[in-house]
Amino acid sequence: MTRILFRYFVLFTLTLLALCALSFSLIYLFPAEPVTTLTGITPQNLIQHEALINQYHLNSNILVQFGDYLSELFAGNWGVSLISGQPLSKEIMLALPATIELSACAMFIVVVIGIPLGCYSGLRAYSNADFTINSISVTLYSVPVFWLAVIFILTFSLQFGWLPLSGRVNLLFDIPHQTGFLFIDILLADNLDKSAALSDAFLHLILPTLSIALMSTASMIRITRRSIIDVLNKPFIIAAKSKGLSSRQIFVRHVLRNALLPILPLMAMQITTLITNAMIVETLFSWPGIGNWLIQAIYQRDYSALRMGMLAVSTLVVMITIAIDLFNRLIDPSREKFESVTI
Amino acid sequence: MPLLDIKNLTLEIDTGTQVIKALDKINLTVNSGEIRALVGESGSGKSLIVQAISGATPPNWTITADRMSWNGNNLLSMSEQQRRQILRKDIGVVFQHAIASLDPSVTLGEQLEESLPEQLIEGSWFWQRAQSRRKEVIRTVHKVGIKDHEQYLQAYPHQIPTDIGQKLMLAMALISQPKMLIADDPTRGMETTTKVQVLKLLSRLNQTRSLGILFVSHDLLAIASMSHSMTVLYCGQTVESGKMKQIRKRPLHPYTKALLDSAPSFSKDLPPKSLLPTLPGTIPTLQHLPIGCRLGPRCPRAQRACVNVPSVRKIHDHAYSCHFPLHREKV
Ligand code: SF4
Repeated sequence: MTRILFRYFVLFTLTLLALCALSFSLIYLFPAEPVTTLTGITPQNLIQHEALINQYHLNSNILVQFGDYLSELFAGNWGVSLISGQPLSKEIMLALPATIELSACAMFIVVVIGIPLGCYSGLRAYSNADFTINSISVTLYSVPVFWLAVIFILTFSLQFGWLPLSGRVNLLFDIPHQTGFLFIDILLADNLDKSAALSDAFLHLILPTLSIALMSTASMIRITRRSIIDVLNKPFIIAAKSKGLSSRQIFVRHVLRNALLPILPLMAMQITTLITNAMIVETLFSWPGIGNWLIQAIYQRDYSALRMGMLAVSTLVVMITIAIDLFNRLIDPSREKFESVTI
Repeated sequence: MPLLDIKNLTLEIDTGTQVIKALDKINLTVNSGEIRALVGESGSGKSLIVQAISGATPPNWTITADRMSWNGNNLLSMSEQQRRQILRKDIGVVFQHAIASLDPSVTLGEQLEESLPEQLIEGSWFWQRAQSRRKEVIRTVHKVGIKDHEQYLQAYPHQIPTDIGQKLMLAMALISQPKMLIADDPTRGMETTTKVQVLKLLSRLNQTRSLGILFVSHDLLAIASMSHSMTVLYCGQTVESGKMKQIRKRPLHPYTKALLDSAPSFSKDLPPKSLLPTLPGTIPTLQHLPIGCRLGPRCPRAQRACVNVPSVRKIHDHAYSCHFPLHREKV
């Protein structure tokens, strides 16, 4: 047990190190001066230039520079944005929770709708219900996310005016920033009409969540269905039937667990797609998340922001992937306890 | 009245492009207290019969039969519920691939407890019942020859060796104290000593509890001595069935003769270093079944009449299906 945890920890650290190295190399790869990309400060004169170079050891050996870079990262000194001059750590901490909130809601829909529907159509494989569910999910799966988002905006916001067009919450609500997760912040805030703010935030959440959740739900349905069908054809299900167990007992005791175990790692992959889609959709809905923030950085050639944004997002993704794999390893008895760790 | 009585069981598999008659008019009976051997090469449909009896059939299978009854009750027309009850209480099934037939995500102990029908559990409080369940499981596991139950009941299927898996499968079938055991190659690949152990256990259960056994195997040697009667299968057709002794002494069907001849210890007058007699060719695949008598292309006695399926003929309780059986002179 400790051994597995240790292995995952080593894997996590190594991956992080590689990511840091990549972001470090960006300092030299971006078409700007290394000092500028590293710190986000454009030196005004030679003296300042000299001072910055000395401060960040940019004249010494590359390994020393990297070591220095790492220690600055861990100290929380991520540099400032080229454009706004704000510390990047602050900006990212503001933007990232919004993206996590969006993706988490979408993931919730994916799991709550995708898995039951997938189970249903897997159990009724090749029936009409199954064909219907399957064709709907294939259609949804083929719809581009950005197009779907635009269609949603056109119909529900502009045509019918049922749902708000953009943003996380109406600007009339002045919600102090505490955790970055809007719903928690609303609950923490005082002198505010909480129920009104909550329902407003909820209305804002519907469209963006749906537009990214639909595609992933579709693929979740298909993955679950396939997995259920595979398990149903296994010899141990035949054996269970010959024991005289009822279909319900067989489903609960033998099918469900065996079908869901292989789904978990695939779900980790879904989460990455989800986050990617979330970043696209954020731009369309002006959702103040990390995707929107990165796009802005690209437009404005904010090199230091790009460097840190990439590092932050990839760290998040790596963390989730490894956590899910670890979880899967812990609950799946058939996986060898000491098989090597990979992602 | 026989325990299990099957007449003209036909199984058709719809592969999407064609419909294959995988079993063609199979006849089979097992009496209470009888050990019947069901013999045939691999691919002759033995395991299909087992699956058809146990009722776990995929949706693309169509099963028809003139009679398929358990203790006089028609298995095909009864409700799902009734059939489950029979499987739960009266029939134990051992499948061919033991490890694959065990759920990989549940411990073996739990799987054994699950096979135990409610009626056999004593006590009214749940802890009493849990205790009684556990006792019963350990008793059965010991009976099939597994001594260190602690180690194996906690284990998952991928952690145990194959022969332990086979024994546990047997334990799972026997734990409900069934009236009949269907054993599909339960000793496949076992070491000789273990094999003898298992076969002995089965004969003993047969004698003491008059357990009816349908013993499916391609290993004629292993089961010839313990079975009372035999049914020979070729390519989804029953070719001959009757008392073991009679068939061994005087097979009537060319295929049975070839099968017996190919097992050296059955033919006493075999000169040393001579070739074993075999039939030319191999068993056809299900996709390319010959019409009429399916042995036709390989049969040394085949003639024109053999393109029609031979009907079952009987001499007392020795049944065979062949147009030109061995006791008649070749025309
Ligand atoms: S029916 Fe004809 S082909 Fe079939 S076993 Fe008899 S002789 Fe051979």
